[in-house]
Amino acid sequence: MPQSPNISDILEAGLRANSLRQQVTANNIANVNTPNFKRNAVKFEEILADKLQEPGKIDISEVASEIIAPDNTPVKANGNNVEMEIEVGQLMKTAGRSKAYIRLLSKRYSQIESAINTNG
Amino acid sequence: MNPSNLTPIDIAITGLRAQSKNMQVIANNIANAQTTNAGNGEPFRRQLMKFMSGEDSLSGVRFDKPVEDLSSEFKSVRMPGHPDADAQGFVKMPNISVPVEMIEMMTASRAYQASAAVMKKYTETSEAALELLK
Repeated sequence: MPQSPNISDILEAGLRANSLRQQVTANNIANVNTPNFKRNAVKFEEILADKLQEPGKIDISEVASEIIAPDNTPVKANGNNVEMEIEVGQLMKTAGRSKAYIRLLSKRYSQIESAINTNG
Repeated sequence: MNPSNLTPIDIAITGLRAQSKNMQVIANNIANAQTTNAGNGEPFRRQLMKFMSGEDSLSGVRFDKPVEDLSSEFKSVRMPGHPDADAQGFVKMPNISVPVEMIEMMTASRAYQASAAVMKKYTETSEAALELLK
């Protein structure tokens, strides 16, 4: 049976990936009119899911996100394939996910805290 | 038809993209309302967007290239002296009615706003779920 990694480690890895995702999305938006610029995206959840399937102990800090260049959006006349709608949606989704991870993390810390302060 | 794994935000994005393209086509029609030569010797022909639902169920809207509106004829206007006028002084004008395009533009912009409202509402609703984690 694979040893399950620490919950806080997984949440931290997720937060890191989401922060990178915000950065990549901001870069896409900044380059919305740059000729020949192709949009980037971050691949993390799939990589993490694959790693969690592997037997043996997993070092979450080794699960790195990948920056990919998806080509599923139409390329405009100036060679650019950024679409504002997609990027704004991406920002909203990433913000929501980050918030969930932060809440879960703070929940985890308050659990540890109540374990320490048993008489409190 | 398999249910897609798109979130409501992804679905709203397909709506936003479709209506954005639609507004582009309408703006192009309005801009070309007086174009008597579209490069092929004929006046500009009105273009329309055709929308289709996604291949999977619940996968939003998809669209192809705009199609030409063949349902109406070019209008003949008497304009002697116009470079594109025929021997009788008639010029063929595009089959575009600007008021109709303006109405189409309003419909498209309302549809765009509706998808944007869905996105906003969905994030607000998810906030409620996140509140439970506090």
